[in-house]
This record gives sequence, structure tokens and C-alpha cells, in this order.
Amino acid sequence: MTSPAVTPAAKNLEIPAAAREAIARLMMEYVHAIDNNELERWPRFFTEKCLYQIISRADHELGRPIGAWFCDSRGMLEDRVSSIREVNVFEPHVYRHVIGPTEVLDAGNGAYTTQTSYIVVRTMHDGEMTLFSAGRYVDEITVEDGTARLRKRVVVTDSWRYDTLIAIPI
Amino acid sequence: MSQAINARPPQELVSWPEPGFTRVPLNVFADAELYAWEQDLIFRGPAWSYLGLEIEIPATGDYITTQVGDTPVIVVRKPDGSINALVNKCVHKGSIICYESRGKRDRVHNFTCPYHNWIYDFDGNLTSIAFEKGVQGKGGMPAGFDKSRHRLIRLRVETIRGLVFGTFSERTPPLREYLGPVMVQHIERTLHGKPRILGRYSQFMRNNWKLYVENSRDNYHPSLLHAFFSTFKLNRLSAEGGTRQDDKSWHHITFTKRHTDRGDQAYDSGMIRAMKQDYGLKDPSLIDQWMEYPDQITNSIQSIFPGFVLQQILNSIGTRQVITRGVNDCELVWTLLGFEEDTPEQTYVRIKQSNLVGPAGLVSMEDGAIGGFVQKGIKGDLDNVAVIEMGGREVGSQPTRATETSVRGFWKVYRELMDV
Repeated sequence: MTSPAVTPAAKNLEIPAAAREAIARLMMEYVHAIDNNELERWPRFFTEKCLYQIISRADHELGRPIGAWFCDSRGMLEDRVSSIREVNVFEPHVYRHVIGPTEVLDAGNGAYTTQTSYIVVRTMHDGEMTLFSAGRYVDEITVEDGTARLRKRVVVTDSWRYDTLIAIPI
Repeated sequence: MSQAINARPPQELVSWPEPGFTRVPLNVFADAELYAWEQDLIFRGPAWSYLGLEIEIPATGDYITTQVGDTPVIVVRKPDGSINALVNKCVHKGSIICYESRGKRDRVHNFTCPYHNWIYDFDGNLTSIAFEKGVQGKGGMPAGFDKSRHRLIRLRVETIRGLVFGTFSERTPPLREYLGPVMVQHIERTLHGKPRILGRYSQFMRNNWKLYVENSRDNYHPSLLHAFFSTFKLNRLSAEGGTRQDDKSWHHITFTKRHTDRGDQAYDSGMIRAMKQDYGLKDPSLIDQWMEYPDQITNSIQSIFPGFVLQQILNSIGTRQVITRGVNDCELVWTLLGFEEDTPEQTYVRIKQSNLVGPAGLVSMEDGAIGGFVQKGIKGDLDNVAVIEMGGREVGSQPTRATETSVRGFWKVYRELMDV
């Protein structure tokens, strides 16, 4: 028995099961790559030409273009990883992402538009734990040959205040 | 209007080991009583504090809320186009009146305290009290209560190039005089168009506010702490540099210029595309830029006492406002700007260069952590002093960046205003 769709939009979106699975796998692997300190894997979740942005909810709603991060190519993502590994100075810390279920909002223009809630707990080397960020991913995801990739990921952070620094991607 | 009501005099709280500005007692970063005095003698003293941008309140009744030190302030546009700044504290019980970051009031409602509906006009006059005459002849304010004797504290307000400043003190010189001609010229030069907000965020720092302000005036640290430019071979962008101050050394500019010894037509006209073979970056378009300023300055940080910074990092223009958050913490509000006159391509360059600044800035993220490192380091040694002798023992402009002259300038003002 299938339950009726709550929103009219959901009725019209027929997402192939394989695409749903690929998207779910992308979401899962993305956060595990970051949380397990495999940052070198992180750029590979994106298409070559892509957009990765971290922006506050307030600025996102106002349509302002600048947030804390703005990368528009996989090369820029890789440069970020090199900088984190080799250049930037900060106290060692790790993230733990917890993500909610992914809602597919649209399926046009060669990509699925989705949103997914997340929270990130940050643990410092001395053991201090903080709720570092909460918000949602607003994504455009392509699925080719069974592999889902981010063409666009806008990390919309509920807060506009960031504690100390955002060295590691969310 | 004081926070230091039960604090011992500053002279009993801190003692400078010697005259001058080369030593700083570390307990100035950790003493709660001194912090209270700083609120009274600096933030509510004879200094201009940055309040916001004129473009945030374009029309009558538009307001923003901010802080001067710890004091909450409303900044509102009046019908005649001028700007008022009022302490955001109802005279009745002390509640804040405006509890949103920005909003709009029409003339009828003006500022109404949410607690008991005491109402103020845009000048801070108390115009109405709910149930002033009581209800059905009972209750109400006593007959002799005079509303005109109760009002919101109003700051003096002045603007320069769209930046709004406020001061509590009648003793503060007019803004342009306070800044001095060198600072005025640089503000007018940096904000050369009609500003437009491209983004805003706040960075919460685990350090006393003065450690950040020192950092903003410390041009000794950038090439040492921030390795991004040197690692990715971007140093060629900035050759000569220097440090400028106003006559009294209250304020500071550090700047770097591109090589000026050889003319380069391509460099002077239009967009400068960063080439992959020249840098260590996989995607050097991050630092695509154009020479925005005829003075050939590629980076400048201008720090206005007490807590305002105007930045130009390549084409990334922005303001930073220091907000105090108790003796051990502070907050930095970043507003990234473009100009209405910018082409879409120029706006995109500014957006990409935003990666260099802020809490995730490839060049600057360390500034969010380094003050916390100091705050942690000094805990057990508050009787010790910091040593500030790079570039000599004096204050004043210097044709070099290997100097702490403007850090000494900060402590010069600090000692004057705190009388310590």
C-alpha cells in the first residue's frame, strides 16, 4: 500500500530507484569522507565544473552572493584541500555530520534539485565538543552511469555566526 | 551610564612597567574590572565607533541594531534624511526596544518597547506610556510624572563615504578631525563608488577584543602566520609596502603595492588573468583581479580606533566591526562590499576573492584562532608583559611592514584614555 503524497510536487516526480540509491550513496559517502579525514576524496563528489558555497541563511534569503566559501571548479576544491593540508594554521579538530533524509524538489535541466538537513558537531583535539553548524544542503545532482555527483552544493547555515574558523568543508 | 560601577580604579588594576608602549601587561586581556572600565572610558568615551552602512537604512524609519562595545544601539533614518543613533534600552525596565537586526518603523508606531508599550520617537523622546492615565480611572502613572525627563540616550552621529559612526562623548572631536587627513583620504579612496552589500557573516573569537584589534594593526605577522600567499607563489603581487598613521597614532593603515619599477600596459588595463604556470594553484582564477586603484595598492588594511577595520585584499573590499563579548571573547562582523558601478565580471571577481577573507579565508582564517592561542597562553602568567619592539620603540608612520609601530600606537591611545 502506498501512502498519498503530501505535496503536489512530490506526485509528479518519478525518480528512478537507481537514481535515488545513487543520490543516497553520494550523501553518505560525502559526509563520511569529511568526518573520516579523507578530504582528498571530497572534490571527487563534484562535477568538474561545479559550485560549492557556504552561505548564511539570512544572506541566502536576501539573494546576496558572498558567503564564507565559494568554489566554482573542482580545481578550486582541490586547492582548498591542499591549503588545509599544507598551509593553514589551526588547532586539530574533526567534524561529525548527521544528515536527514534527502528531499528531491525538482528533476529538470539534467539534474535533481534536492535539499538535505545536516548538523555538524566539532570535536577539538582537547576534547571540547560544540554544535558547530546546523542547516541544509541545497544541491543540484547529476546521475550518470549509476554515479551521482554534485553539480552544485549550497550549504545554507542557519546561523550567520561562525566559531573561530571554518577550515574544513561542511 | 556606566559599567564600572563597582570596579576599582584602573590605576589599581594594571600598572605599566615603564613609560612608552613597548611593554603590555598581560592582565589587560583578562581582567573583568578593566573590561568594565574600557566600556566606560573607550567605547562610551571620546572615540568614534562604527555603527553600520548608510545603505542599510535608505528610507525614513529604516533601522538597524548594533552594539558600541557592550551597549545595544539602534541606528535609524529620520524623515529629513539624517541618521540618529539611540541606546536600545527602554527607560522603564531596561528592555531592548528593537529585537531584530533590522526593520522599519512608520511614523505612527515609532519605537515601542515590547514589554509595556512605552513609545519613543526617532529622536529618543518618550512620547507615550501605555495606561498612563490608568484604566477606568484607576491606576496609571502619578500626576507629577514628566515624560520629558525620561528619554533614550542619543549618540552623536557622523558619516563618511557611507560609513556611519557614533560617539557617546561630547569631547570627541568631529569625525574627520578624529580620523585625520591620512585616514580620511584612504577611506574615500577605498570606498570609491556607491557601496553594495555582497555578503555578511560574523566570526566569533575566543579572545579579548584588544587581541583582535592589535592583530589588525600588526603588519609584522601576515607573511609569517598566513602562508597562503607565499606557498602558492603569490608574493609577486605585492612588492613594496608601508605603514601609515594619523598624527596621533590612533589609527593605522598597512599597505602593499605591486612592483612599480617597470611599466606594464597589460597590467594596467582590465582584468588580470592569473596563469596556471605561474602559481601553485590548480585553479588560479581565484586570484583573477583588476587594478582597481590608481595608487597601485593591491592590499590595504585600515584600522580605526577602537574597533573598525576597512579592508582591500586585491578586489575584496569589506568592513569589519569588532563587537565585545565579555573579557574572554569577541565577535567580528564582516560585511563584504562591491559597488553599484561594478560590471558583472567585476562582481564575480569580488565573489571569488571572498575565499581569501573571513572565517574561512585562505589568507586570513588564522586570525580567528591566533587571539585564542594568546588568550590560552597567558592564563598562568598574567603578571608578565608582552614585548612590542619590532621596528623600534616609537610610534608613527614607517616605510616598512616589518614593524609593530601601530600596535604601539594602540597602546598609546589605550593608556591615554584609560589613564594607566
